[in-house]
Order: sequence, then structure tokens, then C-alpha cells
Amino acid sequence: MEFFKLEIVTPGGVIFDNNVKQVTLPGSEGEFGVLAGHATLVSLLDTGVIVIDTVESKEIAVAINSGYVKVDEEKTLCIVDGAVAISGDDNEIAAAIEEAKELLKSAETTNATIATAVSKIEKIKG
Amino acid sequence: MASLKDIQRKIKSVKNTQKTTRAMKLVSSAKLRRTEELAKKSKVYAAKLNELINEIAQKMCESESSLSDTPYFKNIENPKVVDVVFVTADKGLCGGFNSQTIKRVNRLIAKYKEEGAEVRLRAIGRKGIDYYRFNAIDMLDQIAGLSSSPEFEKSSEFIHEVASDFIAGKTQRVVLVNNGYVNMITQAIRENQLLPIDPSQLGIGESCSPSDLELEPDDNDTLLEDLVKRYIEFSIYYALIDSLAAEHSARMQAMDAATNNAKDMVNRLTISYNKARQEAITTELIEIISGVESMK
Repeated sequence: MEFFKLEIVTPGGVIFDNNVKQVTLPGSEGEFGVLAGHATLVSLLDTGVIVIDTVESKEIAVAINSGYVKVDEEKTLCIVDGAVAISGDDNEIAAAIEEAKELLKSAETTNATIATAVSKIEKIKG
Repeated sequence: MASLKDIQRKIKSVKNTQKTTRAMKLVSSAKLRRTEELAKKSKVYAAKLNELINEIAQKMCESESSLSDTPYFKNIENPKVVDVVFVTADKGLCGGFNSQTIKRVNRLIAKYKEEGAEVRLRAIGRKGIDYYRFNAIDMLDQIAGLSSSPEFEKSSEFIHEVASDFIAGKTQRVVLVNNGYVNMITQAIRENQLLPIDPSQLGIGESCSPSDLELEPDDNDTLLEDLVKRYIEFSIYYALIDSLAAEHSARMQAMDAATNNAKDMVNRLTISYNKARQEAITTELIEIISGVESMK
């Protein structure tokens, strides 16, 4: 299995910078997955959840409001306005989920988008 | 000559002031460190955003449309209406920090008036607002409390209005003035043209290298417009952080100087206290001696 580098950058700093197996992104034209060696692409990102499949085959969810992604063969770069990573122990996860819900709500999208995003987060957590 | 008690009281009061200024200096230096960290982090974002805009701009030059035709880049010579956005602190006690910015804004106003343009002010920070309100100069927009705790969402909201005015043609140029952080002991006034965006500022060259970059949605203009919007939002956010760092460093300096001045003053007062005490003792001695003499 090949890995590639994923970076998630917000105005508040870099929140993720590591090698990953696969990442699923909420593109504006639809959700899409990226594996190593993906063709060069720039896409708008909608409110939603970035699902990262790490090298250790663990899933990490990152809720975002909106942004951009630039994919090339060896690196994927997400530039987002706001992001909340859902990781850590149980207490931290619970707090992060609340924070993520707030972020999604503030993004002024439809309830359906928020609901999908929240359910996705909860699925990964469980 | 002030009495002993007066001098003592004065020494005590100066010492108290010294305590306050020293505490303020410490607070500022701690806050400065935090703001510096924040600035460092957001620089990464700026670099990545620039990179992306560059790539899309290069992609765009393959097609017919040129950058200077897009609304955010359209440069008009001799603008009729100029918006001046300026950032000051919410609090004083930081030396010439706020007055420097205000001075620069005043100079800008004078300059554009001379060119026959109307100037509209958009103030961020209480000190600037207070100044222009006191001088009865109208401000188009004012927001307090943002410069002491920069928030991306709030600053974006603020700048959206500016951008939409620009797109609607209500203003032809937007200039951003803020006091920026250089290092611990220097601040520098920064004056940047926010809109229209100067392509050279983004590092967009004339060169055109076709790439096989895929875009989604497949519409250069939408993507670029969105990116540029983000760039503007970020510019103002960064200006706020920069200004905050500068404010803290300016306050640190001012408070350091104040603490030193207080120290000098205590020294001077102590000398005059000692002199007065000596004098009192001498007078007393003379009185006693002359009393003894007269008894003989």
C-alpha cells in the first residue's frame, strides 16, 4: 500500500500533517476519495467531514466548514477556514464533536448537510 | 521645601505606579509571545493560499480571460472613492502606537483629497474610533473589540462588506493601514492596497506555464473569485494579528520605559528625602545646642 502526504491548514495553524493511506473529501461537486498517485486536481470543499485513513489503518474525522483542496501525485493540501479534528480519548472526542457541530452550524448550510456530517462523525467514533 | 511626610507619600505612590507598569510589561510580553506564535501559524496558511492562487492564475492564462479583467483585479487610475481601513488598538498606554497609525491615516486622507477623491473611513479598534469621533470626522464603519482578540469569522464579516462595496463599484480602491510587528523593539506602519489586488503582490508573474491541473468546479472564474475572497479575508485577519503583536511590543517598550522612569524618580525623591531629613536633624541640633548655651 502506498502512502501520501496530507496537510490540513487553517488560519489558526496546521492541524494535520502526516502520511496517510486514503482521504475522503467533501468536494463541492460531490464527495471523492484520494489515494496515492491521484491526478493533479484543485477543488472547492463544501461543509462536511474529511475522513482520513491513516497509515495505522485508523480513521480520523475532521469537520470543516469550507475550503479548498489541491491534490497532486505525492501530496494533498487542504486549505480550510475552520476545522475541528475528532481524535483523542473519549472525553476529548465528546468535546470535539460538540465543537464540530457548532462549526458546521455556523457554516450556514442546509440542515441535511449538517445531519450527514454529524452522522458520519458519530459512525467513525463508534 | 516639601515636608518629610509629603516626600515619603510621593515615594510610595511612585513605587506603586512602578509596580503597575512592571506588571503590565510582564503581561504584554507574555501576550506578545502568544501572538507571535499565532502569526507564525497563520503565515503557513498565507503561503499555501498564495501557492494555490498562483497555480490557478497560471492555469487561467491558458484561456482567453486575463487576470486584470476579473473584478477583484481591475485597477482604475484616479479612483473617485477610496476606502481606508485602519487598525488601531482598543487600549492605550502603548507609546506612539495608535497615534502613528492615525497620523498615517490623516496623511492618506489629505493625499486622496488633493487628488479629488472622496475618502471613506472604516475603523477597527477603539482608539481610532475615539479619535475620529472626537474630531467629528465621519466613519463609514467602525468595529471595536476586534483588534484585541482577532477572530477570523468576525474579520471576514467586516471585510465582506468592503469587498461587496468594491464589486458594486461604490469604491474604487481599498487601502489597509495598520501598525505592524517587526521585532521586539521595532514596529512599522504598513500601508497596503487591499483592492484591487496587485498581481505582483501575490507573486503572479507574466509567465505562463500550461499545466494539466484539473479544476472542480470546472470554472476558473468561480474558483479564482472564491480564492481571492479568501485571500482578502486572510489579509485583514493577518493585519489584525500583526497589529496586535505590534501593540504588545509597543506596550512592552512603553511600560519598560515607564518602570525605568519611576525608578529614577524614586532615586531622586529618596535623595531629597534624605536631604530634608538631614536638614531637620541639623536644625534640631542647633536648637538644642543654642538652648544649652543660653542656660549657661
